[in-house]
Amino acid sequence: MFGTLDTVLARRQPSPVGSPADRHGDGRAASSAVTIADVSVTFGGSDDAVVRSASLDVPAGQVVSLLGPSGCGKTTLLRSIAGLQRISSGSIAVDGVTVAGGKTFVAPERRRVGMVFQDGALFPHLTVEQNVAFGLRGRSGGAERVAEVLELVDMGGFGDRLPGTLSGGQKQRVAVARALAPEPAVLLLDEPFSALDAGLRVQVRRDVKRLIARLGITTIVVTHDQEEAFALGERVAVMSGGSIQQVGTPTELYEQPSTPWVAEFMGEGIRLAGQLDDGRVTTSLGQLPARTTNSAGPTSGAVDVIIRPEQLVVEAGSEAKVVDVEYYGHDVRYDVELRGGHLLSVRALRADFAVGDEVNVVFAGADVPVWPR
Amino acid sequence: MLAHVAVLGVIFALPGLFIFTRTSQLGDELGETISASLAPLGRTILLSASVASTAVLLGTSLAWLLMRTALPARPSLRVLVVLPLVLPSFVGAAAFLAALAPGGILHGTLDLIGLEAPRFRGFWASWIVLSLFTFPYVFLPVAARLLALPPSLEESARVLGRGSVATFFAVTLPQLRSAIASGGLLVFLYTVSEFGAVQLLGYDTLTRVIFASRLSDRATSFTASCILIVLAGTVVLLERLSRPPQRANDPVRSHPVEPQQLGRWRLPALFFVLFVILMGLVVPVASLATWAWRGVRDGRVGVDGLLGAAINTSVVGVITSVVAVIAVVPLAVLIVRHRARSANVASIAVVSGFAVPGLVIALSLVFWTLNAPVIGGLYQTLPLLIGAYVIHFGSQALGAAEDAVRAVPDSLRESSQLLETSASVRLRRVDMPLMRPSLVSGGGLVLLSTVKELPATLLLAPIGFRTLATEVWGSYEDGFFAEVGVSGLILVALSAMLTWVLVLRRSDAIRAS
Repeated sequence: MFGTLDTVLARRQPSPVGSPADRHGDGRAASSAVTIADVSVTFGGSDDAVVRSASLDVPAGQVVSLLGPSGCGKTTLLRSIAGLQRISSGSIAVDGVTVAGGKTFVAPERRRVGMVFQDGALFPHLTVEQNVAFGLRGRSGGAERVAEVLELVDMGGFGDRLPGTLSGGQKQRVAVARALAPEPAVLLLDEPFSALDAGLRVQVRRDVKRLIARLGITTIVVTHDQEEAFALGERVAVMSGGSIQQVGTPTELYEQPSTPWVAEFMGEGIRLAGQLDDGRVTTSLGQLPARTTNSAGPTSGAVDVIIRPEQLVVEAGSEAKVVDVEYYGHDVRYDVELRGGHLLSVRALRADFAVGDEVNVVFAGADVPVWPR
Repeated sequence: MLAHVAVLGVIFALPGLFIFTRTSQLGDELGETISASLAPLGRTILLSASVASTAVLLGTSLAWLLMRTALPARPSLRVLVVLPLVLPSFVGAAAFLAALAPGGILHGTLDLIGLEAPRFRGFWASWIVLSLFTFPYVFLPVAARLLALPPSLEESARVLGRGSVATFFAVTLPQLRSAIASGGLLVFLYTVSEFGAVQLLGYDTLTRVIFASRLSDRATSFTASCILIVLAGTVVLLERLSRPPQRANDPVRSHPVEPQQLGRWRLPALFFVLFVILMGLVVPVASLATWAWRGVRDGRVGVDGLLGAAINTSVVGVITSVVAVIAVVPLAVLIVRHRARSANVASIAVVSGFAVPGLVIALSLVFWTLNAPVIGGLYQTLPLLIGAYVIHFGSQALGAAEDAVRAVPDSLRESSQLLETSASVRLRRVDMPLMRPSLVSGGGLVLLSTVKELPATLLLAPIGFRTLATEVWGSYEDGFFAEVGVSGLILVALSAMLTWVLVLRRSDAIRAS
């Protein structure tokens, strides 16, 4: 949808704002690394930390998703980076300069971060143009910059509209433009698409992803949606109970989750008890190969394993019965009841079976992750 | 039901119409009386504008300090700062006069530091007293708006490079504009109608002219009333027109927002809040209390005599609130369920009853009953007094009655019709339980206003019928500060109790931690 992006980027040399951030001179803003070291946040009066000893390095230009269930502290951590929340201990640095930690607290207005809120937070009394220009106060070439970023998000013709007259997707585009206009060192997105309808969400998400990739700006996205985290983030930090559980690429998180909790949060799967011996786990589904990439993992004894629906295959047989079929078009999901009463989910490409059919469930994956019980 | 609404509309519109008719019949006298009213009109406008702007400044700054900053003890301060509302302004004025009189607490304090108590009269005195007791009318809606405002707006402004002061003016203030306007216009209206305080403090506004000329110079009294109605009506109309279409508030996420650190302004800000509480609450209550205590100690005032007045106040107030609620419920049904145009016309009549000053309503009822052959017997009877209250305060029950009707949505009424055939059983078991809370709170607001009302009570109460308000008034006129203290304290306590139950306990802004 941002078809005008390339032309706009081409037009940007030299930068009309003459921004110090545009050091590359190729339209790619120089972005900054964010270092979060051992940060804890406690809300006034309470002993319970909302964020506990969180550490995260975001290299310049990288997009990182902060993923976790609601209440896990991910938004609080993001707000700490913006300066909207004071941290109790630890430190936060942008490009090696501490902005929070010890006695240092840089006010949000001096941090050069851009932030997009869940509700867009457009000022209802200002037009789209005035909203975007809000962060450019006193700069020369402001009007050109406003037109330029509105063009970037494909909202060129909407400058004199009031936010109340825009659709949800349009509002978020303007919010992104407003955050980008002052050429921030870091872009923070707080559940930016969660207020949008499903179809629109994917569209706006793709557009924003392309935009931040082209601008090369360091970006941290908070989301509770695994799909969104994976789609946007080059790396994903999974949070739970205030702590960062694991940081990795989407593939790493899905295939080598560090804890059963991360494994289950990353995607559907069934957790089975088993006995590990010599690289193989004996479970109620038979013997399965244990994944060996996790060097710190156990080598024998009672373990838990997670089996994903796509690691299983159903065949005609007699050991189990199909109790439910959900047909999605591109694939199909079976709920299968084993003789012992265990319920399993199986993902298959074809809908060959119907409810009530007798089947066998066979493990077809490479291996399963194991954790000591 | 339509007939009921028609009658209701006529009754509520009657006092205003009567005044207009009589004024229009003045003929040649009219020019004279108008020019005689111009100077008082100027004073009314000057005072109302000054009080409204002061209330806006006080109410808005206090709301921001207590809702957005890291001042200590904010939850308690929020309650205290609203409490000046419980003092009827004439009681507040009397309390300040008593405090500055020889033997009063301010007089004594000033004496200690070698200062002479100032002459507390006229514009300055009225301005100070009325501002102190009306700013909560601005504070409450502004605080509620601040609470409902998505925090992300102000946070966006900060992240976009504006400091806290710039953020307040560029983002917060524009969002508060309608709350400030409605609060400010309410204070303006309150001051336009104010009688007791300006009478005590000797500032010649229109209401004072009306009161002074009501017996000797009826023509002036009518004209001044007429001007007052036009002024009040204009203000209400302005408020209605300036009110933006109601927007549904976006759901506000519940992540805790960092309160604004005040740095070196922390102490001055705290002193400012405490000073307002001191002047609006502590000084007047302490002034009443010292005089009351002296009186009781020396055996000069008996509390027994006031028991009758307290009972009278409560009984008349309760009857008024019941009558008011019963009167407006059919209107609320027509407005909410049928969206009837006739109902809207009637509701304008009801609301205008609030805009017309109580003094004018009372005056019009006095002349009307005195001159009419059949209903002449009503003069100085309780039914007429209650009628005046209902006309003046009925609009306060109307909003609550509309809420009550809305509490029983069509789907609920229809499903109860399918389940229960008897209409009276449905009314008892479905409609009433759902409507009761709103009706009770509407009636309560009427009760609260009735308890604090002075001019209508002075003009219309039966001879010898004493209420707490007339008791305070009479004692002050007679110079018995001790009695002013005792009856004032009882009145304030009663009003505080009702305010707590009806206003403060229900306010999210006050309860927010």
